[in-house]
Amino acid sequence: MCCSKDLTEKDLEPRVELPLYLESIKGMNFFDPHVHMTSRTTDDYQAMADAGVVGLIEPAFWLGQPRTGLSTFQDYYSSLVGWERFRSSQFGIKHYCTIGLNSREANNEALSEQVMEILPLFIYKEGVVGVGEIGFDDQTAAEEKYYRLQLLLAKDASLPVQIHTPHRDKKRGTQRSMDIAIECGLDPGFVIVDHNNEETVEEVLDRGFWAAFSIYPFTKMGNERMVEVVKKYGAERIMINSAADWGISDPLAVPKTAVLMKQSGISDEAIHLVTYKNAITAFGQSGQINVADFEGVKQIDQSLKFQGNTVLRGGQAPRVNKDSLIIR
Amino acid sequence: MSTTKDKIHPIVYSYDADSLISKLAIIIERYTTPDTWQWLKEKSSQIRDEENIQHFMIAFAATPRKTGKQLINLSEEEIREIQQIRPHLTIQHWPIDRLCRVWFLMHLDTMNPKEYIRVIESLFPTAEMNELIALYSSLPLLAFPENWRAQCAEGIRNNIADVLESIMCNNPYPSENLDEPAWNQLVLKAIFTEKPINQIVNLELRANQSLANTLSDYAHERWAAHRDINPLLWRCVGKFMNEKIFPDIMRIALSENSTEREAAALACSMSTYPPAKELVDKNDELRSIIKSGMTWDDIGKKLEKNSS
Repeated sequence: MCCSKDLTEKDLEPRVELPLYLESIKGMNFFDPHVHMTSRTTDDYQAMADAGVVGLIEPAFWLGQPRTGLSTFQDYYSSLVGWERFRSSQFGIKHYCTIGLNSREANNEALSEQVMEILPLFIYKEGVVGVGEIGFDDQTAAEEKYYRLQLLLAKDASLPVQIHTPHRDKKRGTQRSMDIAIECGLDPGFVIVDHNNEETVEEVLDRGFWAAFSIYPFTKMGNERMVEVVKKYGAERIMINSAADWGISDPLAVPKTAVLMKQSGISDEAIHLVTYKNAITAFGQSGQINVADFEGVKQIDQSLKFQGNTVLRGGQAPRVNKDSLIIR
Repeated sequence: MSTTKDKIHPIVYSYDADSLISKLAIIIERYTTPDTWQWLKEKSSQIRDEENIQHFMIAFAATPRKTGKQLINLSEEEIREIQQIRPHLTIQHWPIDRLCRVWFLMHLDTMNPKEYIRVIESLFPTAEMNELIALYSSLPLLAFPENWRAQCAEGIRNNIADVLESIMCNNPYPSENLDEPAWNQLVLKAIFTEKPINQIVNLELRANQSLANTLSDYAHERWAAHRDINPLLWRCVGKFMNEKIFPDIMRIALSENSTEREAAALACSMSTYPPAKELVDKNDELRSIIKSGMTWDDIGKKLEKNSS
């Protein structure tokens, strides 16, 4: 974090030479509505910015190591609206988040009670575009209890909900998640059901929910399969994300899938909906997404011009050429 | 500090808080819709009630949802009027949500100082980026000014650019309240993170020998690394020139960069160190820079212009 004084327009521009496979989508904007940047490096941020990712949503999730106290939850939520947001801004990527108690840790009931108390302090914060990711993992009674309570919280705050559907017993878990959301009085148009696959998508769409797909190797969707899903169901209410986290995953999943869709003859308009627009429409119902904040670097410049100082332009960091042997 | 509930502490505020609340209300009303203004008035009137603290915290978090983020643009006269009430306070170009949050904080009940301080302190750890900016911007307006020194020093340890700037630039709290080590840390970090240091309130007034020595060391590190140095740095050094620092000034007096030569001239003009006087006497350019009436602010403006 230095030498930004020497920052010029050129230093902030995306790389001219993109990996070959990304050439066909050069100039397109992408929005990744589910990616856990806390677990990723600055190299990932840079690669995402280079590939055209202009905005993202980081859902609150399980960090891999179970938390044992309220403070670690509190600090994690604070980092999602604070430090991580700043890190992202250094790469010109607008960072939003959803705040919630994840299903896995909902099984620690004593702690969950305390977490529920602090959630209202966070969900009204700026840039919080929903309650998430919440839902089922093991599908226990405790998970259901906190899922319901958080649905009601979202309803009170008029916020969208981002539902994590379970890896195991997925189809039934997805149905149950939707049933409960309806029972709690939520409008399906405010609910994004995540981690869909070929087996779950039809019912999710038929019932009026948003269907999100995580392009994630081995355990979730592959992008060749995703192309087939879009061919079959169209682009309406469908969105893709990387769900990149601490596991083997790919923060470029959204732009890469856009390439594949383009190669497969899917229209630019459909690609735009699935990789950008639909997510913004769905989560934009929070009133917290202003596309002027990320549509084109020029607009970012203008909004911060009053400061009269390049260093402050969204706090963007100078680019570092990763292929250079010399470090200055 | 007294904690008696029935009597207002004699030095609660360092300025006329009631006048400023009314003054800011006029501006806020101008920048908000009637509905939002109604909401702000309602929430601010409930703040004094301790039962409502949780509601206040949610309102504080939700402020931009109601107010939007339009930038405030005041007339010269308004800027002056505000500074008459609270010297050095600059709210020009704040987004309206920040002003409303600060205005909310000014409504907190000061009758029970312990509770007042506890509530404000509890806002910091869970604050989002723009909330932090509002909180640190509010420091010069809070009651019991001596109580926020540690929080201010903590803020200087933050690494978020805009948060740092809200403490370092156009904020009169640090210069009025920080002790020398914390103040020096603020100046060093502002230079290190390339903030517009000419916007640090009372930069020259609070310069000191220890800071000057550290800045000289810093300059040597930068030179060794072939990196640039902000010429405004020498503003904190000029008055404290001695045999150890003087060679630095001789070096920038011979710089290829004209702004550095200007900084050398102004630094010498601040100094009573005889060799600095001699240097100016012997150097026509330095003498004419001083004669021209150039100020550090002129250099600051030039630097800002070049970097935008």
